Amino acid sequence: MVFPTLDFVLFFALVLGLNLALFRLNGWRKGMLIAASFWFYAVWDVRFLALMSAVILLAWIGGLPGARKATALRTLCIAGLLGCLAFFKYFNFFLLSFSNLLGEAGLSRDFSWAQVVLPVGISFYVFQAISYIVDCAREDVPARRNPFDVALYVSFFPQLVAGPIVRAADFLPQLDRPERPTSAMRGMAVALILAGMVKKLVVANYIAVLLVDPVYTNPAAQGAPQALAALLGYAVQIYCDFSGYSDIAIGVALLLGYRFSANFNQPYRAASFREFWQRWHISLSTWIRDYLYIPLGGNRGGKARQAVTLLVVMGLAGLWHGAAWTFVLWGLAHGALVAGERLSGQHRATSLRPLRIGVVFTLVTLLWLPFRARNMGQVGEMLGALARPASEFSLALHPFALVLIGTGLLISALPLRWFTRSGEALGRVGPELQAGVLALGLVILFAMAQEGTAPFIYFQF
Amino acid sequence: MARNLRFLLTLWLALMLLWAFSGERIVDWVFELPLPDALMDPLLDAVFWGEDLKAALGLPDLFGALRALLHGLAGL
Repeated sequence: MVFPTLDFVLFFALVLGLNLALFRLNGWRKGMLIAASFWFYAVWDVRFLALMSAVILLAWIGGLPGARKATALRTLCIAGLLGCLAFFKYFNFFLLSFSNLLGEAGLSRDFSWAQVVLPVGISFYVFQAISYIVDCAREDVPARRNPFDVALYVSFFPQLVAGPIVRAADFLPQLDRPERPTSAMRGMAVALILAGMVKKLVVANYIAVLLVDPVYTNPAAQGAPQALAALLGYAVQIYCDFSGYSDIAIGVALLLGYRFSANFNQPYRAASFREFWQRWHISLSTWIRDYLYIPLGGNRGGKARQAVTLLVVMGLAGLWHGAAWTFVLWGLAHGALVAGERLSGQHRATSLRPLRIGVVFTLVTLLWLPFRARNMGQVGEMLGALARPASEFSLALHPFALVLIGTGLLISALPLRWFTRSGEALGRVGPELQAGVLALGLVILFAMAQEGTAPFIYFQF
Repeated sequence: MARNLRFLLTLWLALMLLWAFSGERIVDWVFELPLPDALMDPLLDAVFWGEDLKAALGLPDLFGALRALLHGLAGL
C-alpha cells in the first residue's frame, strides 16, 4: 500500500476514526496503531511480517536494561539486525556473481529460484531498531520493558517504508503523552499532504514517464538536449519523489497526533556539499553522522584522517543503496567533494553564495547520473549522448515535462516560510474547511495522476 | 475532540461524494482489495447496492470529466 492511492486514503480515514475513538484509551490506541501498521506492511507481502517481528524482538531485547550492561548481548542484537539487512540487500548480488563465475567455468546453473525478495523499507526500520539499541546503551533514552512500545516505534506505518528515520528519544515520549491534534496541526498536515501529493503524483511521476525513463531506456538514440533534460529531470524527480513521500508521512503522522522532524530543507539551495547533506534526507544524514561517522573517528584527528573517514562513510552510504559500482561511485564522489571542502576550508566560505549554489547544484545533478543508471556502461552512454546533437531517433521532448522541471525547480527554490505560512493559514480555518480542502485537493490530484501506482524511488532501498 | 470529529466526518462525507460522482471506478478498485472473503463478500454487496442506487439516480461521472479536462490541458 502506498500513500497516493485510494487504498491508502480509505485505510487512513478508518485509522483516523479509530485513533479518535480510542484517544482516551492509550493502550488500546497503541494496539490499534500496531495492528494498522502490520496490516499496512502485510499488504505488500504477508511474509515480511515475520521479518519485521524479528527486528522488533531484537531491538526490544537489545535495549533492555540487562543488555545495557551485557555488551555481548547488545552486540549480538545489532549484528543480527545488520545481518538481516546485509542478507536481503546483497544476497542476490553474490548469487549472481557466483552464477557468473560458474558460467565462465562452463558449469552454468540457473539460480533464479534462490533469489530473495527485498522486503520494502527494510533499511529504514532496521536503522530505527539499531538507533534504539544504541541510544538505550548510551542512556539517551530509557529502555522500554513493554515490547509493544518498541513494536510501534519500529513499525509505525507513516514512516515504516521510506522514513523519515525517527529517533526513539523523539518518538517514545509521544507514546506516553499523546497529543490531541490541534487546528494548527491539522492545517499543517493538510498542507504537507497536498504538497507531497503534488510533488509525487504530478511532478515526479510525469517527469519519470515522459522524460527520464524513455531517455535512460535508450540513451544511444539520444542527443545533448534529451540527455541534459533527463539529467535535470532526474534531479527534480528524485527530490520531488522523496521529499514528497516525507511530506505525506509527516502530515499523516501529524493528523494522528505525532510530530516528526523535517526530512528535507530545500537541498538544491545548498552552497556547499556539507550544507547539501544537512538539507537532503536529513534523518539519514544525521543517523549516519551519529552512528557511523562519529564512532569511526568523526572530527577527531587531523584533516587527512577526517577526509578518509568521510570517504569511507560516504562510500558505505553509496553501497547501502545497492551492490553496484554506480552507487559506490556516487557515494565516493560525494565523499570526495565533502572531504575536499573540509581540507580547503571552503565549507565555511560565505562569499559568492549564488555562484556556489550553482556549482553545487550542477555537480549534484551530474552525480545523479550514476545513481540513476543501471550500470557503468549506461553512465558512459549518457555522457556520450551529452556530446552529440539530437537525431531523428531521439525522444521528442514533451512540453509538459519541461514545464514540470521548471515547477520542480521552483518548488525546491522557494523560501520554506512561504509554505509554512500556507500551513499556518489553513490552521486558522474551521475543521470542515480543512477537510474540504484536503478532499478537493486529493480529488484534483488523483484526476491529474497517471493510471496505476508508481512506487516511490526510495522503496527499493 | 469535537473539532477533530468534525474534520473526520467532513472527510468521510467527501469520500462518499467522490464515490458518488466517480463512475464505476470504485467497483474495479474494490475487486483488487487484498481482503479475506469474509470481509470481501459483504463489502461487495454494499458496493453493488450503492452502484445500483447511483445508476437509479443517474449521477454523472464528474471525476472522469475532470480527469479528461486536466489531461487535455496538459497535453497528455
